[in-house]
Amino acid sequence: MIISQETMDVDFVRKVEALSDTSVRRCFQCGKCSAGCPMATFMEHPPNRVVRLLQLGQWRRIIEGRSIWYCASCETCSTRCPNKVHLASIMDALRKLSWDADGPSKESYVQLANKLFLQNIRTYGRQYEMRLAAVFNVKSGQFLKDLMLGPKLLAKGKLKMFHSKNKNLSEIEKIFSRIEEMRKNGKAL
Amino acid sequence: MSRIGVFICHCGENISRTVDVERVAREVGLLPGVSFSTDYKYMCSDPGQNLLKNAIQEQKLTHIVVAACSPRMHEKTFRKAVEAAGLNPFLCEMANIREHCSWVHENKEEATVKAVEIVGMMVERIKKNRVLPGITVPVTKRSLVIGGGIAGIQAALDIADCGHEVILVEREPSIGGHMAQLSETFPTLDCSQCIMTPKMVDVANHPKITLHTFSEIELVEGYIGNFQVTIKKKARSVDEDKCTGCGVCMTKCPQKKIPNKFDQNIGLRTAIYVPFPQAVPNTPVIDRANCTWFKTGKCGVCQKVCGPGAVDFEQEDRLIVEAVGAIVVATGFDLYTIDEKPKGSAIKGYGEFGHGKIPDVIDGMTFERLASASGPTGGKILRPSDGKEPKQIVFIQCIGSRAREKGISYCSKVCCMYTAKHTMLYHHKVHDGQAYVFFMDARTPGKSYDEFWRRSIEEEEAVYIRGMVSRLYQKGDKIVVMGSDIAVGVQVEIEADMVVLATAIQPQKGADTLAQKLGISYDKYHFYSEAHAKLRPVECATAGIYLAGACQGPKDIPETVSQASAAAAKVMTLFSKDQLEREPIVARVREAGCVGCLACKKVCAYGAIEEKEIRDRQGNLIKTVAYVNPGVCAGCGTCQATCPSKCVELDGYTDEQIVAMIEAL
Amino acid sequence: MTNDLKYSYYPGCSLHASAGEYDLSTRELFKHLGIGLTEIPDWFCCGATPAHNVDELLSLSLCAKNLELADSIEGDVAVACAACFSRLKTAQHILGENDVKRKQVETALDAPLKLDGNVKHLLEILAKDLGLERLAASVNKPLTGLKVACYYGCLLTRPTDVPNLDCAEAPTIMEKIIEAVGAETVPWTHRLECCGANFTLSRPGVVIQLTNAILDAAKAAGADCIMVGCPLCHGNLDIRQKEIEKVYSTSYDLPVFYLTQLVGLSVGLSPENLGLGAMIVSPFPLLTEKKLMETSLLDSQVSLPGIR
Repeated sequence: MIISQETMDVDFVRKVEALSDTSVRRCFQCGKCSAGCPMATFMEHPPNRVVRLLQLGQWRRIIEGRSIWYCASCETCSTRCPNKVHLASIMDALRKLSWDADGPSKESYVQLANKLFLQNIRTYGRQYEMRLAAVFNVKSGQFLKDLMLGPKLLAKGKLKMFHSKNKNLSEIEKIFSRIEEMRKNGKAL
Repeated sequence: MSRIGVFICHCGENISRTVDVERVAREVGLLPGVSFSTDYKYMCSDPGQNLLKNAIQEQKLTHIVVAACSPRMHEKTFRKAVEAAGLNPFLCEMANIREHCSWVHENKEEATVKAVEIVGMMVERIKKNRVLPGITVPVTKRSLVIGGGIAGIQAALDIADCGHEVILVEREPSIGGHMAQLSETFPTLDCSQCIMTPKMVDVANHPKITLHTFSEIELVEGYIGNFQVTIKKKARSVDEDKCTGCGVCMTKCPQKKIPNKFDQNIGLRTAIYVPFPQAVPNTPVIDRANCTWFKTGKCGVCQKVCGPGAVDFEQEDRLIVEAVGAIVVATGFDLYTIDEKPKGSAIKGYGEFGHGKIPDVIDGMTFERLASASGPTGGKILRPSDGKEPKQIVFIQCIGSRAREKGISYCSKVCCMYTAKHTMLYHHKVHDGQAYVFFMDARTPGKSYDEFWRRSIEEEEAVYIRGMVSRLYQKGDKIVVMGSDIAVGVQVEIEADMVVLATAIQPQKGADTLAQKLGISYDKYHFYSEAHAKLRPVECATAGIYLAGACQGPKDIPETVSQASAAAAKVMTLFSKDQLEREPIVARVREAGCVGCLACKKVCAYGAIEEKEIRDRQGNLIKTVAYVNPGVCAGCGTCQATCPSKCVELDGYTDEQIVAMIEAL
Repeated sequence: MTNDLKYSYYPGCSLHASAGEYDLSTRELFKHLGIGLTEIPDWFCCGATPAHNVDELLSLSLCAKNLELADSIEGDVAVACAACFSRLKTAQHILGENDVKRKQVETALDAPLKLDGNVKHLLEILAKDLGLERLAASVNKPLTGLKVACYYGCLLTRPTDVPNLDCAEAPTIMEKIIEAVGAETVPWTHRLECCGANFTLSRPGVVIQLTNAILDAAKAAGADCIMVGCPLCHGNLDIRQKEIEKVYSTSYDLPVFYLTQLVGLSVGLSPENLGLGAMIVSPFPLLTEKKLMETSLLDSQVSLPGIR
């Protein structure tokens, strides 16, 4: 690949900086984030290169790739960055921008899990693990995934077949719809 | 009636970018008393100064206001120009429209209005300016050098070689500083001791140098040309005049297991000791905290075996007062440590590297002592935990340096080079070993420096890995180094036998306290500030005080030596005259109104105020009044603010002048 | 024992499901220590990692809503789960500093924010509010001889300046608590490594790899068991342990306790009240061997029911 000034969209950096409240330009590529990242081996671009590509305006490569979805949000990078770059927040911002672009990413399982997780909150107010796992397996076509764990957990009382709904569910629905409304009116990113 | 000339400077674009200078010139031209006003791109340049001189003569100007930068920058320049044109220099004032206006504002309209007001104030003020006569004071042609490392040694030798007396004060028992600790030096690999110790001996033998080791600066009074310095000579417990340096006391001392700071605490010493065999002076000192005699009142072996009877348990700290005309500050540096810092401290440690608790994770200076032929291992690279030779060694650069998160943003400048040197020393001593270096980028500007670094990789086979290390931890007898290589984009994990950290250079502990005693300024890291970063790099803003070496910022040996010689040259410039011309900004007492309460004397920080008796012709005492010695007065104005009967006035800053400025607003 | 400590309680979703024993042991322990604990009525999910991963505004709004609900109950907010704790603290921090985000969340909630509640992890309450001395004084069955590997995971102490629970790189709060109740702690290398909980559902292979490294390090350090303060870590270390042993053809057999279970044992609570039967890796052989449980009970205890 060749990077030319035509493909260098550095304006995008500003958007990421506003969302993440941290400086992207400040990174001087020391690589300490990648050195300590538990997920680096699973990523096609290690964390420092995600920032480097961003600095060069190559954001498409990032939001279409799988690195951002393989970030575990453990914040080791932010904690150890010698330069106070909050990389975990940058990752959040990038995922949001990728998510909003309706998932051009190759990594569909993590996105699916996230989607179901958020849907569960909207519908039930809380997370119901058994339901989450079951629906995930159906939707991802992995019907037998973790099948052996199920009965054991049920026997130990760790999977609840039934759950009570929150009494104030209408409030959570209002929060979701107000946020949707704000975004529609351009009042939030 | 005064004919005031106002000269507005653009300062390139520094002022004109945010201030409409032509409009300022137009508007102040209309002020009463102003006969001439103009603007120019660089007023401080030769054509600018000529513009000023010609206008004085052609327009018959009597008072000058230059609206430009801070008076700290160019007041002298313009007063000199005014004097050359035949006016008293103190009839020229500067209006600061750069630091106080253009640099701190963005809105051009508002900045222009403010600039007009600043100039207007100075116009009103200068109408009240008086002609001030110059003051001359004698210069004491002796100098004080604080710090006996390579910087202090070089400065002291240069000044003394010019025939002037030098008082050299060192906090430790020996001079030599950090350079004496080094094994070999880049980029030539010559032995540090071999080039350092002869200079140390020169200091000891120089007839013009008085050496006070194990001593600290207690108090500094006075001003350029006339400082009074009180030096505390800490009790050495050994009489320097009687001691012959035979060393019998040290061989007999039963306390033999005290960590030696000079060997970075890996070597051991006795309670009565010299820090290293080549120490200057070769006079031991008793470490009272660890001496059996001082702890229990028993032992006294050293005293018994000392032939000349030099050991003196009763010795006390002594204060010495010296009069000097100039001071060179060369207090050097300290190394950053990765250990846990107190909560809320601006500087943080490296928890991810175990806070310094992994025994075989050492710093660069400790490696120097291991590699030094005179060090605790006799020059063998052996790890502190078990004395084994490390076969896999990892060097990590930029520890503390360039780490905003740890509280230090600057580059320590010498680490890239000394790490390259360490890989070479290691390769020369451990032939079957392998060195790895984690680094961000190699900063090697300097004569033969980059070639030296490349040699470490190409000939000495060090593996350089471009990337920092996230974590270090002990696993069995290995240290796991979790790093990355950003060029390949992979994690790099090395199980090392020893890890050497290139820790940041920080100013010496207590640098701030010393600065307060000297009245010099320092930055947020406590490095001392030079008067001008480019044009006055070895002078402090406080006249008569000069800087040499790493106390001003990280430096390598060649740079330190250059700066030390430069500081010495500045001292010699000062000593080249018998009399020093001083600014006549001094306080004056209106004797008629003075009631002699001497409140001013109590508050004067410079001891400039004396009592003066006023007698009639028959010699009868009429009254006692305060008198300001113009040679000593620093012009701070404290007496003026204190005087209850308003009888002290500071020349150049009289109440009348200040009120005129306020009224102009 | 009486004291004046009172908290509102945010259990979080996991404690109402897979981590029921954490919920149970927390309630029982606090009751025993005389610490008041009132569950926040109708609390919502904090959004956990998925929410802040893709929608910070939603994440902040959910946390702010929970803090508002907690405001009706007297006392600081007690949080059991490390992820909930990290989210609530971070949200408080961001909303306190960033006016733009604060205004957006106010619009989303359609109410002024009530952010003043002091959010505390259970560890903080035991070590600081109750205090190690009082904790030690309430011990009647010290955990003598039990070698515990304290596992913090990633979220308890990060980011550095936000949770402010302990030093992010060299924390000691867990060790102090467990030593106060008589156990030994082992120094080990993986106290702060991430277990990959975020991928439990989507990429279990990742979790297995990361969790294996943690179990391996704890075993190598000579630990008898692991102590955690997070239901997500527990899920991986305990529930997946057998699976990991199979994948890596090894054997760890390391019971994984919640901090409230171990402290609960030391103050004399029964295994039943601490939900020890719900642990997938049975703790009973270890507890019997260390004489922390009577041998005669072993048979019945092994078949102890899980959480009610």
